[in-house]
Amino acid sequence: MERNPDRFWNPYLAGVALGLVLLASYLVMGNGLGASGASLRLGVAALGVVAPGVVEKSPGLVHAWAGGHPFDFWLSFEILGVVLGGFVGAYTSGRLKWEVLKAPAFPRARRLALALLGGLIMGAAARVSRGCTSGQALSGGALLSVGSWAFMFSVFGGGYAFAWFVRRQLR
Amino acid sequence: MTFPFWSLTAESRELGLIAGVAIGFGFGFVLERAGFGRAQKLAAQFYGTDMTVLKVMFGAIVTAMLGMVLLSGLGLVDLRAVADNATSATYLWPMIAGGFALGVGFIVSGYCPGTSMVAMASGKIDGLMTVVGVVAGQVIWTGIEHLPAVSRLQNASDLGHVYLPDLLHLGPRAGPAIVALAVTAMAVAAFLGADRIEKILAKPAPGATAPATPARRAVLAGFTATALFALAAAALPTGSAAVPAGPPRLTPLELARRVLDEPWKVRVLDLRPLADCAASRVPGAECVPADQLGKLRLADANPAREIVLVGGAGLASPPAAAAAYPGKVALLDGGFPAWKAFALEAPPPPAAGASPRELDTWRLRAGIAAAMTGVKAAPPPPMPSGDAPAPRKKLGGGCGG
Repeated sequence: MERNPDRFWNPYLAGVALGLVLLASYLVMGNGLGASGASLRLGVAALGVVAPGVVEKSPGLVHAWAGGHPFDFWLSFEILGVVLGGFVGAYTSGRLKWEVLKAPAFPRARRLALALLGGLIMGAAARVSRGCTSGQALSGGALLSVGSWAFMFSVFGGGYAFAWFVRRQLR
Repeated sequence: MTFPFWSLTAESRELGLIAGVAIGFGFGFVLERAGFGRAQKLAAQFYGTDMTVLKVMFGAIVTAMLGMVLLSGLGLVDLRAVADNATSATYLWPMIAGGFALGVGFIVSGYCPGTSMVAMASGKIDGLMTVVGVVAGQVIWTGIEHLPAVSRLQNASDLGHVYLPDLLHLGPRAGPAIVALAVTAMAVAAFLGADRIEKILAKPAPGATAPATPARRAVLAGFTATALFALAAAALPTGSAAVPAGPPRLTPLELARRVLDEPWKVRVLDLRPLADCAASRVPGAECVPADQLGKLRLADANPAREIVLVGGAGLASPPAAAAAYPGKVALLDGGFPAWKAFALEAPPPPAAGASPRELDTWRLRAGIAAAMTGVKAAPPPPMPSGDAPAPRKKLGGGCGG
């Protein structure tokens, strides 16, 4: 296959492909896809190794810690698959490159700071709403959960509401 | 419906983990190929120049939704069972607030939690920073979740497991198919609108999707046809052999498992006359003589818990007041006499030389009889009756966690 970093799948066909992966997940695992659930377990496990004292002070962290080893959690393996799939996809499309994505004129350090800040906000938000765009909007939405649909419209609302403030970052 | 790997029990563990990696691989690969490893492409959704995010997300939702609704219409899958397992309960306001905050984080970072992992895997340092942020943000928030103010915010407006067909009071079979058709129609309209907006706003930039009308036409036609087919499958009265005739029936063993293992997921209603029920009943059962059933207003009750009706030996079908319940309704096979014979009388000890299987069965039954007759500790008290929703399934939470 020709490697062209600027060629993507047709979005409609990509949507159907993603939907089939999700359907397979429902049928085989009895669960939807997820991205943030496993990172909590991994994060708490890492914190438990580095600073067990901090974990013991918070009932929520103790609970997540006692919830089991991250390797007893299928979403951890799913995440491993996501990283592998992303890597193979990027390699075979010529998009595998060590770089910072940003608008040419935007300062690099500020782009990285915003990426971290956005991640922090999303991490907290994923806890409040019991899932992120993958686990809540996608997996719950396809099963017609009321909360998932409310969440999904809200995500688009938040994105559009704040897009203006960071408009120089990526365009 | 069984979930071959969902519990990662000993015998299926390795296969389950391999299946997990394989499904994740598909997820990551498709996200990468759709362009979701690139912050510019994701952010373009919010500037109107490239609506790939909306198209891929809605396309995936419609595909998976139609697949599940169609399989359930054909009687091959229990949609409700999968949904109760795979989705979280609805906490309406926390989800609206969390969604808004996540949308803000999305545009600030240029990624969502899943796509940031794909970006990290393709070498994007900003993606790596977002992954670090998501992990740290979750750990920090989990660390303060026990504070009363946070906990109040987070656990407000708990509606239990509630689905769009429930809101419209549509039946358990036709409801999902009707809603699926409506969602499909909405998605098709959104696709056409998105293409129009792109045409107006997009500059011909590298990375923008080339118009590919045949693919779009094929996908939209496929969606519409599948949605109509799913509706037809659900509308067939009992055309499929897989649709069970009459209400589902539980054996006393199945009821005992539910009452002992997951009492918060069932609501047991004892329809026998009050005096009989008061004398002896299934643990946690509410005594509701059959003629009083209308007072519970089950048609408007929260459908989160499965209702199990316990009657005398002759109860063949649920009364109309129970059949109106939007959630699952099951009958105890054989009624209370079967329960009494199964759970309240210790089984005869197995003969010498019994097979391991017989021994296992005996141990289980003896254990149940012991628990039910109070020899061992009583089972945990049932949830208060009324419309109290089921508790959160997993505190692990997070994305699909």
